[in-house]
Amino acid sequence: MVPVTTRDETDPARADEVVGLTARARLIRLVICAAVLALTLSGTVFGDDYAFPFGPPRMYATRADPDTPVSSTRVVGLTETGLEVALSGGAVGLRRAEFEGQLPRLVANPELLGLLAERYDANSPEAPPLVAVAIIVRRLELRDGVRTGSYVDDVLVTYRLPSDAEGGT
Amino acid sequence: MSRIDRLGRWFFVPVPLARIAVFRLIAYLFIPLDVFVTTRWVAAHAEVPTEYYQPLLIGDWLSLPTPTTAVVETVKWLLIGCALLAATGKAPRVWGTATFLLYFEWMVIAMSYGKVDHDRYAFLVALAVLPTVGIARWRDHRRSEAAAFAVAVIFLAVMLTYFLAAWAKIRFGGIDWVNGSTLTRAVLRRGTDLSMWTLDVPGLLHVSQYLMIGLEVLSPLMLLVRRDRARVMLVVFLLGFHLMVFAGVRIIFLPHVVAILVLVPWERLVRAKPDPKVFPRPLDRVGLAP
Repeated sequence: MVPVTTRDETDPARADEVVGLTARARLIRLVICAAVLALTLSGTVFGDDYAFPFGPPRMYATRADPDTPVSSTRVVGLTETGLEVALSGGAVGLRRAEFEGQLPRLVANPELLGLLAERYDANSPEAPPLVAVAIIVRRLELRDGVRTGSYVDDVLVTYRLPSDAEGGT
Repeated sequence: MSRIDRLGRWFFVPVPLARIAVFRLIAYLFIPLDVFVTTRWVAAHAEVPTEYYQPLLIGDWLSLPTPTTAVVETVKWLLIGCALLAATGKAPRVWGTATFLLYFEWMVIAMSYGKVDHDRYAFLVALAVLPTVGIARWRDHRRSEAAAFAVAVIFLAVMLTYFLAAWAKIRFGGIDWVNGSTLTRAVLRRGTDLSMWTLDVPGLLHVSQYLMIGLEVLSPLMLLVRRDRARVMLVVFLLGFHLMVFAGVRIIFLPHVVAILVLVPWERLVRAKPDPKVFPRPLDRVGLAP
């Protein structure tokens, strides 16, 4: 620890000096503080993540049922030889949780997955090109909140990329 | 005593300007670390197809630009430049405000792709309130009410992050959240060598859930901690909790942790050596006040 200097020893005059605020400056600060507090509280009570930065801090707020499997989602590219390439590990700039957040939208519009393949191919031109992109959910079995060790891989959607001939470019 | 006065007692108990000077340096220098090391995935959004951009309410409202590669890169370098300038302590209102606005936009870029993180509410509040303190020099041990307000508001934001997390658990998980398997799920998904053993101890994670929500509900009590020494102990306790979580599931609320550091009496580390140019202070100024 750095030697502690008490204010009193070194400079009593200045340590006693208080730089005050006018009553008006105090009031403005308190009013703004109250407004932000009101937004924050109502965001937690009524809002959701869409209301960032005033949404509810819902980290781990969802109750997980002790007998429902734990899901873990991954987005993979498939090459012609059937090789799996992870796309949800940051290879195309998105995190796993971001894919999970957009899951319903991706299942409804699988062509969005095609954009990822384009991005991947552009990022790694020497890698074998992808022919399809798939979203796979691994469900790890739980019993009474304890893992049993078994799991099922569930392919939610597979998007086959248009071949060059069909694509016309 | 009026209500405002009583509130004032909590918000405006003068704090040495030197504390703000040190904390400000830490907060602003954290930004390059955040951008280039600990939260690199934000910058990675530069290359994400814009079709994946899902604007937040604030982005819709203010018609913030779609984060194309150019937008992300521009915001990034402006933010780094402003944060470094703000760290010098010169023109704190100008560079501090610019840094806050750019960091806010940086967060909009971060959170608009399907996942919102909850680790930087208090840090955003800190960046918003720091410019209101104005000039604060390292060795200026004068105590300031503007500095007091900044510290109080950041403290409040830190507390709310815990308290409102309890609210959110009850709101989304129900009162039975404590009997769910949320922590088991977290360890299964993100567990480390230091935490996987907890899965095999019956009841441990279950009890931890009670403990967690209990402490969160009680968190407003931390606002009663006033003395410097007690506040340092509070900081050690909170940092200990965040380090434990990090060891267990590799999640750390780093910007939030930086905000917690505002409670440390940093001014004790900085010698209040009087500047020869301004000291001895003209005592007559005191006498001349009208």
